[in-house]
Amino acid sequence: MDWFTARHVFLLAVICYGGGMVHSLFLWRRGFLQDARVGYFLLVAAFLLQSWAMVLRGMSLRACPVNNLFEAILFVCWGLVVACLVLGISARLRFIAAFASPLLFTMGVFALMPALDPPLTGEPQFTGWLVSFHAALILLAYGAFGMAAVSAIMFLTQDHNLKLKKLRAVLSVMPPIQRLERVASGLVASGFVMLTIGLLAGALLPRPEGVSYFGDAKVKWSALLWFAYLALIAGRWRFDLAGRHFAYAVAAVFAFLLLTFWGTNLLSSLHNP
Amino acid sequence: MIVTLGLSHHSSPVEMRERFAFAESRIPEALDRLRGLGNIEEAVILSTCNRVEIYAVARDSDATRGFSTLREFLGEFHGHADPLGPEFYALTEPDSLRHLFRVAAGLDSMVMGETEILGQLKQSYQLAFQQGHTGNRLNRAFQRAFQAAKQIRTETKIQRGCVSVASAAVGLAEHIFNSLADQEVLVVGAGDTSEKTARALISRGAKGVVVANRTNERSKTLALTLGGRAIPFETWEQELERLDILISSTSSPGYLLDRARLEPILKRRHGRALLLIDIAVPRDIDPAINLLDGVYLYNVDDLQGIADDSLRQRREELERCEEIIAERLKALVISATARDAEPFFGNATTSA
Repeated sequence: MDWFTARHVFLLAVICYGGGMVHSLFLWRRGFLQDARVGYFLLVAAFLLQSWAMVLRGMSLRACPVNNLFEAILFVCWGLVVACLVLGISARLRFIAAFASPLLFTMGVFALMPALDPPLTGEPQFTGWLVSFHAALILLAYGAFGMAAVSAIMFLTQDHNLKLKKLRAVLSVMPPIQRLERVASGLVASGFVMLTIGLLAGALLPRPEGVSYFGDAKVKWSALLWFAYLALIAGRWRFDLAGRHFAYAVAAVFAFLLLTFWGTNLLSSLHNP
Repeated sequence: MIVTLGLSHHSSPVEMRERFAFAESRIPEALDRLRGLGNIEEAVILSTCNRVEIYAVARDSDATRGFSTLREFLGEFHGHADPLGPEFYALTEPDSLRHLFRVAAGLDSMVMGETEILGQLKQSYQLAFQQGHTGNRLNRAFQRAFQAAKQIRTETKIQRGCVSVASAAVGLAEHIFNSLADQEVLVVGAGDTSEKTARALISRGAKGVVVANRTNERSKTLALTLGGRAIPFETWEQELERLDILISSTSSPGYLLDRARLEPILKRRHGRALLLIDIAVPRDIDPAINLLDGVYLYNVDDLQGIADDSLRQRREELERCEEIIAERLKALVISATARDAEPFFGNATTSA
């Protein structure tokens, strides 16, 4: 069944994300007055399809599928969906699915561009469990940061409704803003821990001859990202960064991550040999 | 033939309703006496602060005789010698059943769509059922009424929103704070609405109340009523550093709290959200405070606006609720006709 590849299965998952996005728009138009159950079940379906796609790709490579941008995005989306489904177990947090679907759909459509999935030629530059551990942990960290950004956007939506005294602020089935803030803060902290361990694992990888880690665009970018999240965490715990300012900061740092991830990957000789 | 005789907040003042109300402990005795009169086969008595109603099955489908028995019983039981006045409504099928369905769904309640009445109706039915005062007809009618109420609750927005100033404040607090169980409420000034609002927050799980009033006596009385503690009026700003919900209703001519006074307090609150409910007229809190991050200020007009919008939304849902009731009534008739040789709805007409 060569015609039915991981890309095809992932395409089905992206269609589910698209369905979730349409449902989110419907909920948004209605003022978030309805439970996001349909969107949640679409995410469950997408999660199953995406896991299947990752297994198919992993089996064809006989390694963790983190060799190109398509696989990297697949991994980040998977991390996002897992976080979404775990948080959605609580009925009041299920709404996160409605906010995450548009992001997942956009990332999925982007990942499906053929240029992002070139066939692997020759042996990979890095092999072994440490490479998989390094890549998987960092991509899961991005997933956690993505979910933190989704929670922050939910916070900003609800804060806007409360400030403007809209009826939907009281009628909506969204979680209380204090809980959204805690979820965003917890996800940033856990993402930061994963990012730190992932980067340390990367530093332990054998360095190719004549290559400097700190000369690599992706490594510099990762260090910048690490400092940005460290600043966020320090700002929260030491300088009372909270509420709207914290939410804007979380969303902005993730937007930076999302917009620059692809570019720095292409500039990196280590990550895009 | 199911008949209904009763009076409610729509038809009578509270003085009248309390004269004919049944204490819960006396309902079994009342049902025994009513059934003992002979013309009533089944009966359920519903007695709440807003309505007193008897749902009964008249023997031989004779509604006129049924009503006269019910009137006689009510007069005798409550020691009311005069004939019952026009405040009493008397309904026969299908109006009696439609009325039961509407009552169960909260459509006939003072606050449209409220759910308390469903619990009270279930309790009244259960009491009659346990004492053996219900049979096939009332059992079927009440079960269907409960099912219709459930359907209305899940498929329409009739029970959504907050329809009073106090419940709007509770709704806001529940959308801001992770849990009301962690929250103590600071009440500054001891007005009637602030008391109701604080009481509503406590009933939804708030941890306690702290009361500050210029008159110490009034503070203590209100604190005692609400199960909280009174503090000297001069110290309420210090409490605001610790507490996250403030209800203000003083008669101060100027602002009690403005941006300049709140900003240093906010710094000491370390970014925690703050809900300010300003019920005073003239207002106690400078509206510019709402621009501060993490501060949510609502005055009495804002809360009333939320309550009015919710009520309007409920009214818009009324048509859909009536459709559900009509469908359920039709289904009840069909199933009853299939079971009984006798048609469920008799030919008798409404008599008052």
